[in-house]
Amino acid sequence: MSDLSNNYFVSAAEIAAKLDRATNIAQQLSLTASNARAVALRAGERAAGFRPLTDFIDRLAEITISSSEKINRLAARLSQTSADKIRSDQVIKHFSAVFEKAIDSPFIGSLDAVYKRSKEKQQKLDHSYKRQIDQLSDELAMLSNELRNAVILATLSRVEASQAGTQYQDALINVADNVEGAASRIKDHINYSKQMVSTLKEHLQ
Amino acid sequence: MKTHKLYESNSHTWLMFGRDDEKPNEIIDTNQYIVITKNNSLLMDPGGIELFSSMLSAVIKQLPADKITHLFASHQDPDIISSLGLWDQALPSAILHSPWIWEGFIRHFGMENITYAPIPDEGDSLKLDGVTLEYIPAHYLHSSGNFNVYDAEARILMSGDIGAALESVEAPLFVENFAEHIDKMKMFHQRWMPSNKAKNDWVDRVRKLDIDMMCPQHGRIFKGDDVKRFLDWFEALEVGLVGK
Repeated sequence: MSDLSNNYFVSAAEIAAKLDRATNIAQQLSLTASNARAVALRAGERAAGFRPLTDFIDRLAEITISSSEKINRLAARLSQTSADKIRSDQVIKHFSAVFEKAIDSPFIGSLDAVYKRSKEKQQKLDHSYKRQIDQLSDELAMLSNELRNAVILATLSRVEASQAGTQYQDALINVADNVEGAASRIKDHINYSKQMVSTLKEHLQ
Repeated sequence: MKTHKLYESNSHTWLMFGRDDEKPNEIIDTNQYIVITKNNSLLMDPGGIELFSSMLSAVIKQLPADKITHLFASHQDPDIISSLGLWDQALPSAILHSPWIWEGFIRHFGMENITYAPIPDEGDSLKLDGVTLEYIPAHYLHSSGNFNVYDAEARILMSGDIGAALESVEAPLFVENFAEHIDKMKMFHQRWMPSNKAKNDWVDRVRKLDIDMMCPQHGRIFKGDDVKRFLDWFEALEVGLVGK
């Protein structure tokens, strides 16, 4: 993981990039579901138990795609807020330096109004930043929970594949492997993102 | 940052800010100028981000923030105007006067509040409480869209990068020995200025102006006969050269 001590605004962009990859994998998962449906259809009665599972794979893919896209959007917005926050923090830093350097100026009070406005802007951005981190965290947890179903789905797929006869067994086991593999890769990205979000949260304290 | 009064009359004052000994060493030293009239002022080439707090501190010692009504950026370089995003927060009602060709570029420095007043290629003038300041075209010297500011009453030309010298923060404010000063500005003009044609056209026009002080954005100010010495030297100099 990259060093987040100074560039926390970069990490939000990294989360967005990770979730972009998760979306791509989920799209492959959707293809897997279509493929599974075709194999199950060809296998006929022997794969009757497999067919409903393809609907679940589809649903998993759909949820993962929509959730990944949502997380991606949240992370992109967080990245923008972080960059705005950095700029706002810089403005306050510069203004504070002016108040120190020009303390004896008879006109120093003429900056009070802009300082107050900048301070309010900074507080507003701080608030948005915290809220967006929480939203991101909740959405990651939700997707993580959904992906737990992938393991069950893969196990059930293997059981049903074993009933489908030798001609279709390998193809359906391959579907189960794909589901498990895709879910595992998405989980890696989610876990990485979760770690980043918790580091961002630590920075807030 | 030091503040030096260059001119004062009933109608207006010229101040120069520069020789900032708090700036990081890697950053080129810059001169900033301000014309203060009764209720307004024009802050010229306000500088880079690194300079902002020193600059605003120096200015706020002279006048209240709401009297800094106009900014001028001779061109788009970071040492000229990368502080814009901070001025934008400090002076939300200010107007920035800058070459029209740079508007889309300069806005990248951050501009939510300040108004951009584009200067046309042929130049323009700004009237502040009865004081007229002229934007003199100085394109390709060095930037392809570039202006000087001329005050006919004070006989001061703020010449931007023309006449600039790369010097330390301890350097005197004024050129004391023109012949010795040449070495400090020769390479800068040859390397940064791309066009002999643009240079000679500028020299011809500026020779017709009545100038007591020529104030560049880096280095020392030229006074009296040194202004003419500079114009003669610059006219004879071949520019647009890499190396010696």
